[in-house]
Order: sequence, then structure tokens, then C-alpha cells
Amino acid sequence: MEYFKKIFKESLIVVILSSIMGIFSGTFLAENDEVLYSFPIILLLLPSLNSLIGDISTILTSRLTSHLYIGTIPPKIKKSDKLVQDFYGLLITLILSIFALIIIGYSVGLITAVEIVNPFLIILLIIITIMILFAIMFIFLFISSILLFKLGKDPNNYLIPITTSLLDFLTPLTLILLLQIFI
Amino acid sequence: MEDRNSKGRIIKEAFPSEIVSIIGDILAGVVLTVLILPFQSFILLILIIPALLSLRGNLSGPYIARTSRDFIIGEFNKNSLIQNVLATYSLAIITGFVIGSLSLLLNVFLIKLDLIPWYFILLIPVISICLTLSFSIPCSTMLNYIAFKNGLDPNNVVSPIMTAIDDFLTVICFFLTLVLMGVP
Repeated sequence: MEYFKKIFKESLIVVILSSIMGIFSGTFLAENDEVLYSFPIILLLLPSLNSLIGDISTILTSRLTSHLYIGTIPPKIKKSDKLVQDFYGLLITLILSIFALIIIGYSVGLITAVEIVNPFLIILLIIITIMILFAIMFIFLFISSILLFKLGKDPNNYLIPITTSLLDFLTPLTLILLLQIFI
Repeated sequence: MEDRNSKGRIIKEAFPSEIVSIIGDILAGVVLTVLILPFQSFILLILIIPALLSLRGNLSGPYIARTSRDFIIGEFNKNSLIQNVLATYSLAIITGFVIGSLSLLLNVFLIKLDLIPWYFILLIPVISICLTLSFSIPCSTMLNYIAFKNGLDPNNVVSPIMTAIDDFLTVICFFLTLVLMGVP
């Protein structure tokens, strides 16, 4: 049962912290319901925005972990060809996905008669939010993966729960802050 | 043959999965509004929902990533699968109780809603998460296997697809739990 113990031991604290963060996220959203109800399209798009940036971070973490385990990325904080390929691959995927999300989201919004207020500004703020979070997450995940791997830990067990929960909190936080600045 | 790690391959494999994920999540949002919003105890349920939706990152995401890695490094077998599943369920039960306990505290000190017995608030997340995993684990393991056997990188394909499926399952299983427990 070595594998079980390793997973359980490495994940327990992180999972508990992530659950607490999830509850904070719910409380934060509930407290900012006025902003969200003023721009209902954000409510419609928020779950997919959370999961988009969460998915890209999950892919990055699991790719970095696989690279580290099979030795295609050295456990050193330095630029490598594989890392550059991953960066551009994920950045282009993210940009294409944001546009798809906006098109699909606004179409569903129109079909379901959700009130659409100031669409161009909202779209711009969504793009800025996702780009800021991607830049922060790429650097954070790369450095953390290397450090955890060097300590003999599996980065998947630590970084995926932390980043997903963190992003579930940071995405609405950044978007609402930008909304309050620009509107 | 295109290198498994080239940016072209990442885009080709991850983007279609992301489209599935986006559609699934937008629909999950719509379903959530239609199914959960009419509950009288919605103000309490909304506290639990974001934590439950983060299940994909807390439990499903690492489970999928570990399974993908096991396939890639050639260590996937019955023993590793059983231990991976057992660990995920054990963590799920603990996560459920943590979410339930925090929701209970927030209800006592902040929301003060007495429509639901206190032990229901503890049990709803546990039952809901275990129910979700019972569908999610076989589904993601199968997808990982299919992706790997077809020469795709499971890391790029499975996580985004499972995000959409997991979010859908979470909402549906949460709703089923509420109905089964008779939550008003």
C-alpha cells in the first residue's frame, strides 16, 4: 500500500486547504452579488472561465511532471526547448479557447435572454484577467514543480489542487477588481 | 510523426478538448441555475457549490494526472489503480466532511438558516462527492486508456474533457443528493 500512503500523505493537507479556499470563494461571490447581478453575463461565463484557466494549469502541471519523471526537462530552474514548446502551445490554446468561450457564452446569453451590458469592455476585461493569471501561473507552476520534484514529491498531488482552488478564487477576484476599476 | 511535446501537438490535442469543456461548463451553469436555484435553502447551498465544483481540482484532476503519468511511464497496473482509487475515495470523504463542517459553521454564525437539520449539512457534501466519483473515476480511467492506446497524450486530452463531465456530474449528483435527502 505504498502508493496509497504516498498519495494520501501528500494530498491530505492540500485537499483540506483547497476545500477551505472553495468555501471562501463561495463567500466572496455571495458578498459581491451586486456586481455580478449588474453584469449577468459574467455569472454565465464564470464557471467556464474558472475551468479554462484551471484546465490549462492542470495540463501544464501534469506535462511538467511527466517531463521531470521521464527526464525530458532537467530539474533546474532554467529555460529549455520543451518548456518553450509547452509555453507557446498552451498560450495559443488559451487564446483560441478564450475566443471560443466568448462566442459560445455570448450566443448562449442571447438565446437565454441574459442582459448583455457593455460587451466590448467585459470581453476586454475577461481577456486581461485570463492573461494575467496565465503569466502568474506559468512561472509559479514551473518553479514549484522543479522544487517539489527535487524534494522527492509528486508535483501533481500538490500543485493541481492548490492551483485549481486558487484560480477558482483568483479568477472572480481579478475580474471583479478590474470591473470596479474600469466601470 | 509529430513530436509528443511540440506546440502544434499541444494545440491540436488540447484545443478540441477545451471546446468540449467550455460547452459543458456553460451548460453546467445553465443546469445549475435551473435545478438548484428553486430550492428554499439556496442561500446555504450556494456556499457549498463552489467548494464542490473545485472537486475536479482537488480529487479528479490529480487522479487523472496520476493515471496519465502511470500510463506514460509504464507503471499502470491493477495494484496501482486500486491504490489510486482507494486514496481518492478516502480523500473525498475527508474533503466532504471539511466542506460540511465549514458550511455548518458559516450557517450557524452568518446565514442562520434553520430549514435543514445540522447533520444534513455535514452529509450532503460527503454523499454528493462520493456519488460524483463513482461515475467520474471509471469514466476518466477509460478515457485515459483510450487516449493512450490511440497514441494521444492523455495529459492534453483527458483533463479538459473530464472537467466538463465532472462539473456536470457534480451538479447532477448534488441535485440528486438534495432530492434523496428531502432538502427543501
